[in-house]
Amino acid sequence: MGIDWSVIRAIAKRELGSYLGNPAGYVFLTLFIAATGAGAFLQPGFFARNLADLALLNKVMPAILMLFVPAVTMNVWAEERRRGTDELLLTMPVRDIEVVLGKYLGALGVYTIGLGFALAHVGVLAQLGDPDVGLMASTYLGYWLVGVAFVSVGLLASMFSGNATVAFIVGAVGCAGLVFAGTAPWASGIVGCGLIAGVATLIWVAVQGNTDSAGYVAVGAGVLALIVWLTGTFESFQDTFGLLGVDRHFYGFGEGIVRLGDVVYFVGIAVVLVYLCTFMLGRRHW
Amino acid sequence: MSTSSAPVTIRANAISKVYGEFVAVHGLSFEVRKGTVAAFLGPNGAGKSTTMKMLTGYLAPSSGSVEVLGKDPGVAESRIELARRLGYLPENGPLYLDMTPRELLEFFAQVRKLGEIDKAIDRVVQQCAIQEVLHKPIGKLSKGFRQRVGMAQALLSDPDVLILDEPTSGLDPLQIREVRKLIRDLGQQKTILLSTHILQEVEAVADTVIMVHEGRLVFDGSVDELRDGQTLEDRFYALAGAPAKAKAKTTAASTANTETN
Repeated sequence: MGIDWSVIRAIAKRELGSYLGNPAGYVFLTLFIAATGAGAFLQPGFFARNLADLALLNKVMPAILMLFVPAVTMNVWAEERRRGTDELLLTMPVRDIEVVLGKYLGALGVYTIGLGFALAHVGVLAQLGDPDVGLMASTYLGYWLVGVAFVSVGLLASMFSGNATVAFIVGAVGCAGLVFAGTAPWASGIVGCGLIAGVATLIWVAVQGNTDSAGYVAVGAGVLALIVWLTGTFESFQDTFGLLGVDRHFYGFGEGIVRLGDVVYFVGIAVVLVYLCTFMLGRRHW
Repeated sequence: MSTSSAPVTIRANAISKVYGEFVAVHGLSFEVRKGTVAAFLGPNGAGKSTTMKMLTGYLAPSSGSVEVLGKDPGVAESRIELARRLGYLPENGPLYLDMTPRELLEFFAQVRKLGEIDKAIDRVVQQCAIQEVLHKPIGKLSKGFRQRVGMAQALLSDPDVLILDEPTSGLDPLQIREVRKLIRDLGQQKTILLSTHILQEVEAVADTVIMVHEGRLVFDGSVDELRDGQTLEDRFYALAGAPAKAKAKTTAASTANTETN
């Protein structure tokens, strides 16, 4: 039996409704538009450049999203677990992948609506000059794809805790890793160590079926990765993890270039992390 | 009322649940036969809710196995087939507080892929008497109405098996009487396992009693067998007052009695 999209649609609709039926959802949308508007137009160089584009926003957009997207996703699982409603949802005749996809698409829907409102920036550019339609389309596609990846990071983070604040911090740190990787050799090295520690911990939790000693595993794997990096045992350590950086994959979209490899990068992150969420949910070991 | 020849609907085989150093459930084994209202009795913290979570497939047992309606909730496909025929009211009746009861029932009917959604909703609304609050946000309802909305959710698919975790918790005496009557009526056709620590509830609705204490089975038999010539209160204190280990004999004797009957 395959995936039932009517179930996914019902869960996504419920997620979207719960967000938009809540004042916090509108606060998010307002702040998101204000922050991206400031990033686009309130920077010193905007008028001096005399170009009707979003190049200045593109530089800061991943950093804005690494804070805003986890704010959307922090409640996706944390709130369900806090209220105990996950117990109802996970005892329904639905597949884990349907629940995860429903929640993922609901959160992505909230982000997409926010991005839809942020199209107002193109209207501002049209008032000031003559923005290139193709460039705007690729730029917004890039923004959306960053969201596609970051929502999956936030969703995974939300599974780790029944506390929304913890989910937000874990999600923001995860997204920050992707934002800072590749920006400087030291940043790539730190992200590499963090990623190795995270993957080792996930494998440990998956194999053990509980979180016992997970902290020791995380610290142990992180220290080991640090030694490998600093001693130069694996010379390409920084370069390898630098490839994971959002910046190098997002850059092309802001220039009007849509590369298949970049699309695969963003969608690939989402696919891997949605799969990981489904796997963790299937363990039923919290 | 069940007979010992009725097929087994719920079976727990030496299930345990361990959280780090803490053992919430110790090798629990019991059976509930078709058409039985079984009370899952025990003091707070006895492991009742954890066991129910394992029966519904929400939690995986650390060891042992579970079978409900012949399905193993630990296997994904099996769990889905089971969930179609299972109604579950978790502890404290968790609900989406931002929805109205109507929206909530519609949502779960869609998720359950029920055919005639309006008909199913009308039926459970009547059964649980929630007509007057159907369009009010659940967050603004009293505890009693929330509990009834939770019951309506559990009954939505007209399930063969109902697992109810403290269904009368937080209700006033009138509501308790209504819910108990509903459970008795439903128990004519369905298998029901309900957890409680209220002895009057056991007397009012249960055919059989499974009593746990500190995660261990301390009694499994009929209400009369539990009474054993004393008041239920005295027996409850006798079984739950002392450490669970000391009551192994009581359990063995009760199990033997049940099998003989």
